[in-house]
Amino acid sequence: MKSFEYLVAENLEAAIESYGDNNVMLKAGGIDLLDLMKERIETPDSVLSIDQLDDLRYIREEDDGVHIGALTTLAKLGESDLLKQHYAVLHESAANTATPQVRQRATLAGNLCQRPRCWYYRNREFDCLKNHGDRCYVRDGENEHHAIFGGAPCHILHPSNVAPALVALDAVLIVESHGAEPKRIRAAEFFVLPRQAMFTENVLEAGQVITGIILPEKPRASATIELREKQSFDWPICSASVARLEDKWRICLGAVAPIPWLSEPAMAVMEDRDVTEALAKEAGEAAAGEAEPLSDNGYKVDLVKVVTRRALLAAAGKGDH
Amino acid sequence: MSYRDDNRVALENDHPRIEMVEKVTGKARFTTDHYLPEMLWAAYIRCDYGDARITRRHVDRARDVEGVLEVEIDRERGRYHGDRLGHICAESRKALEEAMAALDLRFDVERPKTRIERERTPLDQLDAPDNIEDAEAALEDSDVTVEAEYQTQVQTHCCMEPHGALVDYKGDSARAWGSTQSTFGFRDGLARELDLPSSDVDFNCEHVGGGFGSKFGPGAEGTLAARMSKKFEKPCRVVRNRKEEQLDTGNRPGSLQYMRLGISRQGRIRGGRIATWGSVGPGGGGGGVRNPSRYDFGTIARSHEDVNLNGGPPRAMRAPGHPQALFAIELMMDRMAGEIGMDPLEFRRVNETSDVRKEMFDAGAAMIGWDKRRDGGVDLDNGALRRGYGVGVGDWGNSRGRASVTVNVYRDGTVEALNGAQDIGTGFRTMLGDVVATHIGIGRDQLKVRIGRSEYPFGPASGGSVTSRFVAPRAFMAADKAKKAILDLVAIEWELDDTEGLSIEDGVIRGPDDRQMEWGRACRLLSEERVSFSADDEGEFWKQPTGSDAVQFVEADVDIETGIVYVRRIVALQDVGLPVNRHTVENQITGAVIQGLSFCLFEDRILNRQTGAMVNPNMDMYKIAGPRDVPEITPVIWRSRDDPGVNSLGEPPIVPTCGAIACAVANAIGTQVQSMPLTPRQVLAVIAGKERA
Repeated sequence: MKSFEYLVAENLEAAIESYGDNNVMLKAGGIDLLDLMKERIETPDSVLSIDQLDDLRYIREEDDGVHIGALTTLAKLGESDLLKQHYAVLHESAANTATPQVRQRATLAGNLCQRPRCWYYRNREFDCLKNHGDRCYVRDGENEHHAIFGGAPCHILHPSNVAPALVALDAVLIVESHGAEPKRIRAAEFFVLPRQAMFTENVLEAGQVITGIILPEKPRASATIELREKQSFDWPICSASVARLEDKWRICLGAVAPIPWLSEPAMAVMEDRDVTEALAKEAGEAAAGEAEPLSDNGYKVDLVKVVTRRALLAAAGKGDH
Repeated sequence: MSYRDDNRVALENDHPRIEMVEKVTGKARFTTDHYLPEMLWAAYIRCDYGDARITRRHVDRARDVEGVLEVEIDRERGRYHGDRLGHICAESRKALEEAMAALDLRFDVERPKTRIERERTPLDQLDAPDNIEDAEAALEDSDVTVEAEYQTQVQTHCCMEPHGALVDYKGDSARAWGSTQSTFGFRDGLARELDLPSSDVDFNCEHVGGGFGSKFGPGAEGTLAARMSKKFEKPCRVVRNRKEEQLDTGNRPGSLQYMRLGISRQGRIRGGRIATWGSVGPGGGGGGVRNPSRYDFGTIARSHEDVNLNGGPPRAMRAPGHPQALFAIELMMDRMAGEIGMDPLEFRRVNETSDVRKEMFDAGAAMIGWDKRRDGGVDLDNGALRRGYGVGVGDWGNSRGRASVTVNVYRDGTVEALNGAQDIGTGFRTMLGDVVATHIGIGRDQLKVRIGRSEYPFGPASGGSVTSRFVAPRAFMAADKAKKAILDLVAIEWELDDTEGLSIEDGVIRGPDDRQMEWGRACRLLSEERVSFSADDEGEFWKQPTGSDAVQFVEADVDIETGIVYVRRIVALQDVGLPVNRHTVENQITGAVIQGLSFCLFEDRILNRQTGAMVNPNMDMYKIAGPRDVPEITPVIWRSRDDPGVNSLGEPPIVPTCGAIACAVANAIGTQVQSMPLTPRQVLAVIAGKERA
């Protein structure tokens, strides 16, 4: 790990002001950043901790929806009765992330801003595109954990558990920066594909910080289904988050694309219809239809069908999974 | 010939580990917890790829980092990711890491050998074994011939405590700490490196966080620490980081196992051809596979080839060669049973070589509910989950070996049990203490156990599951001497002719006419402050161990839509001979089962086929079973004979696990997954293949 200066922000305003400086990295829970720094994927001169800004830890109902502070831990999301009762899609994904220890540290915004877990990007031996190299090792290499949607030229998976849930809920992120009015960005427009931006996975610009998330609408029904190889401390190999807002279904897939993958074909099947076994199956088939698997990740296409169907059935109270 | 439901043990000892509080409070100090004044830091410069030559280096830049003492590159070409090419020594960790980054090596990468199936000599090009004609005759004499090939992956060593050493050379002597499975092997290796007599090296390994076969001798860490300490006349620490652990501490080699066997209609295996291949490093061997074993396979023509790959080389790993062999063997047993329509358990009974395991079959089948097993699996209510059952076997040899124990008795009543061997997490410390305390008849509060130092009496290396087996008889012997000595004094004090009729229980000596004396008071009869009793022979306390037989039954559910395997229950029957402490015996069994499960379902060293670099050298991407992956495990302490000695226990319980799980999965889905690990991808591919067929 390269030596760095450790800065502790006294308040949000000071944090936002400091964050505008060069080569400063923001640390919330620090779960992801530490790994990146140990491998020298990231070598910041300074690390600015905002972990102690307790004002950014809250879950509360307001007139325009449920507001969640950016530094709310995944453990707190998992403990929230409000989310459990009305936002199962988010609650289930947060409550099952990683391990109890990680959830005590990991924050909602940190989870959204994680860097990819691609094993080429994460190991300095590979001069891959995302590491400013000249090639992607995925297509001709080991690709069982890589994207089946939206990949080329870089086939990472977006690593956030909760991002598909927020996209399904059509959540809004509050983004602040020094000297500018807070911006509101829809979760569905927050994430970007590698072909749009190779060195980031979202639209945040230098100095911008997520300070809160708003869930504008209570879904009529919702659920998340995540599949993992290991049932402890593992990222999903495929997930589906579904939410019925007003009457319309929103279906977002996880761990299959470089961004939370809002499945237009599956939503076109469901539209505003009630869930039936046949319709859920059809939606799953439609979701998988646009997949472009690589040599070793074709199994994810099968998993997309299963998780989409199961998530819809679970949201409708018809599934055991 | 029986087992007890409550697992009560021979010495009636149910205490927790002696060092439990030290470990959970962090008071226990491991090698990595020791820091000395003016300590140097050293580490190896490593190859980044499978087969690569250095094309660029910035040695001067690395040397220019403040605090760097030495930067040396000894080799230009590395043959595996993590291969040691040189070293850096510095005055601080910061300087070491900055120098390593400043070196900024670049490599010219050759196409590496990364796949055993591509690099092996094909079966039809192998030299025929000498007895091939006999094996062919056995096949012709059979009613049915069954053929299959199985594959197992590389499992890397993942000790909780990294490999490391701290050496403080002082000219005519040295102090050192190391994470090791062999106190005396480590000490002797350091002594050679430092050109000192072993007696002048004070070596310590009071607590060790796992070894599993990867920590004999000083290793690369101890060697470098010794060289740097001697050269710069300061203490030097070499401790691997987690990535180095994954790349270069050895592994259980991968295997391919081809089997063509003939059987009779009655289920007797007649013989056949078995060919195995083991994946090893770029040079050297160590890829052996213990196939065939355990069952009576008749006349087998066997061959083995070690296949050189550009990956880290193998190293002994908990039952080397056995678990991977039993994966193939147990699946083959089920396949053969299926061919003739015989229940797999009955088929095993016919070909089993151990009477103990035959009895375990009956007990374990009742415990797991083998009668619920159905060909093709049991449909559970929700439609996607299928349940299956599997069984696997194992055992271990139990030879004799060298050890020595000293028991010190102090006038204040304190008893010390001393042996230099290391506790690598097995519970050896507890075993030694419990033998001494129980045999004398005192409580643990009167006992101190001192282990893991070279100044203590000799103890064996913890390899081949020998530590407790070698040390226990000497512990009994030394304790017996101490007990007799104190009873002799009490007999004199009570004016008795001899010690006949004297006993010690719960720290109280009892004699004729209801006389009693506290242990502490009796010790004050000693004329010296401390009296020592040593034993390096076993005398009457050598009792032949039993065979460490093992049988495991597995109940597993498979989601046939996702390929995810959920192991629900494992019944692990284990003959441990004389069980000394229930907790540590059960810990050894359950720990081995978990490690076997993790090997079967998750762990896999994955080498990039383009560069030979390992893509998952960390504990995020190299997957190891976690709490939710662990099923209900029922360890059964089996007693096959009265009055046995202490058996091997570290290795035998890992032998059956992956075979039994693989058989349960095959039963659940109606077809075999012939390649480990049993990931959703593998399981789904097999199910799809079955549906296509």
